[in-house]
Amino acid sequence: MFIQYSMTPDPVTIGADMPVIEAAAMLRKKRFRHLPVVDGDGRLLAMLTDRDLRSACPSTVLSLEEREQVLEKVKATSISEIMSTDFVALQPTSTLDDALLLFQTHNIGALPVIDDQGRVIGIFSLNDMMTAYRRLFGLGEKGSVLVAIEDADDQAALGSLVNALERKNVFFTRLVRVPGQGREPDIVYLRVNTMNIRAVHRIVEDAGFTIHVPSIQP
Amino acid sequence: MTINKRITVITDPKYNLHDTGGGEHPEIPERLQIINGRLTSGHLAGMVDFASPRPATRSELMAFHPESWLFRFEEAVLSGRTYIDHPDNQIGFESFEIATLSAGAGLCGIDLIEQDGLQGERIIFCSTRPPGHHAEPTRPFGFCFLNNCVLAARYWQQRYGRRRLCVLDFDAHHGNGIQTAFEEDGEVLYISIHEHPSFSYPGTGWAEEHGLGPGKGKILNIPLAPGSNDAGVLAALDGPVRSLLEQFRPEAFVIAAGFDAHLLDDMSGLAYSSELYGKIGARLAVWSKEFCCGRLVSILEGGYHLPVLADCVENYLSGLLLTKP
Repeated sequence: MFIQYSMTPDPVTIGADMPVIEAAAMLRKKRFRHLPVVDGDGRLLAMLTDRDLRSACPSTVLSLEEREQVLEKVKATSISEIMSTDFVALQPTSTLDDALLLFQTHNIGALPVIDDQGRVIGIFSLNDMMTAYRRLFGLGEKGSVLVAIEDADDQAALGSLVNALERKNVFFTRLVRVPGQGREPDIVYLRVNTMNIRAVHRIVEDAGFTIHVPSIQP
Repeated sequence: MTINKRITVITDPKYNLHDTGGGEHPEIPERLQIINGRLTSGHLAGMVDFASPRPATRSELMAFHPESWLFRFEEAVLSGRTYIDHPDNQIGFESFEIATLSAGAGLCGIDLIEQDGLQGERIIFCSTRPPGHHAEPTRPFGFCFLNNCVLAARYWQQRYGRRRLCVLDFDAHHGNGIQTAFEEDGEVLYISIHEHPSFSYPGTGWAEEHGLGPGKGKILNIPLAPGSNDAGVLAALDGPVRSLLEQFRPEAFVIAAGFDAHLLDDMSGLAYSSELYGKIGARLAVWSKEFCCGRLVSILEGGYHLPVLADCVENYLSGLLLTKP
């Protein structure tokens, strides 16, 4: 859940006086799409994106001569003239939820992580977020299987389910209670680590629950 | 159409000695007893003979498993532990020896096929336990300790030079260990039809995986939603599986033959009929004849509903014989 465990620490940064051409080459070489721009003390000034760089480069619609004229001007330009100083950032204490909300609201692909002095200490991309949520919910964890259980209308339901599983030494790693919405019923999702799904189903049913079979008709 | 073939079942009473602790563990000796009993007394009885396996040698096991795992496995058994890494992987005092004998069944089957040569019309079925397709190089998973199908494939390559192989797996669960073995190998095609990994152990086997590096294009995972029945399987076999086999043209097939996708088998959420296994067998018979003179070995994986397991195996072998079940 915590950004500091999932971010890329000590990311590559650049100074504001770097020429546009050099910044573009760096992004291409390292296959980044975002670069934090910092001052001499490492404090964040802006986020430079590949979109900013593409906007600064001449259109391929122009003739070769026209493009070369524009390129000469671009070569003399530093990124300070094209970078976006209107940025959002995360703190080390931020959570995945903070990142998710910022990604959705601002439609961006990466977020810098800054300390209380404004210095860049990490970067957190959309890809990092998908990886973090995968880890959080155990998606694709080898040796695990998701069991969906219809939730009982009972506050103590989770406790009795956990007791039943623990009494029978069933090893599980995730338990999530999700209230239903629209067509989706209230479900408890359980990630168990066993091949013996027969035993798990028996334990769950003996404890008074119903396994939820998704109504996907093949 | 009846073809005059014999079925050789490779099995051994020693397999009964692999102790999975009784209780509710699904992988029990009775599975083989019911299969072997049906093949002895059912409508295929006149066409079945039995052969004994030999243990796989250390060198043959090391085609996939490093010695460190073999030592760890042996040591766990000798020290009287009841499971390795997870209670799914129950062991008894004989389990290491029996696992090597289980791995040896496929190798024996391959020897018999190669001895028969081009005249051979023998169907090989390894009625064996413990199963293998979840076993990774250095650890057991899902009742499996040594990867029988991977070891058979490597043996066929190394001993007989059959490099281009297809391992086809119709067990309800993805063969994670087989994919690990061949994911970066351009010579072996791994095809698996299994219950969708979101809902099924071991949570692997995504359709988006096609192999890596030299193995790119050599993995075909066909996950089926819970409740999927015969139609989904036949569409997969007659569609993408057939197309890929026509491109790849294997020199031999190793079949990970699991029967736990049956409707009545509560170890998966799939809903195959008993008859489907006959149709799978028939297709494999045609393909193995078309591509590789019938070189095909089937090795038992899962299948835990005892009465129906015998029906499914019998139907499968009838299909391979191209006779109606």
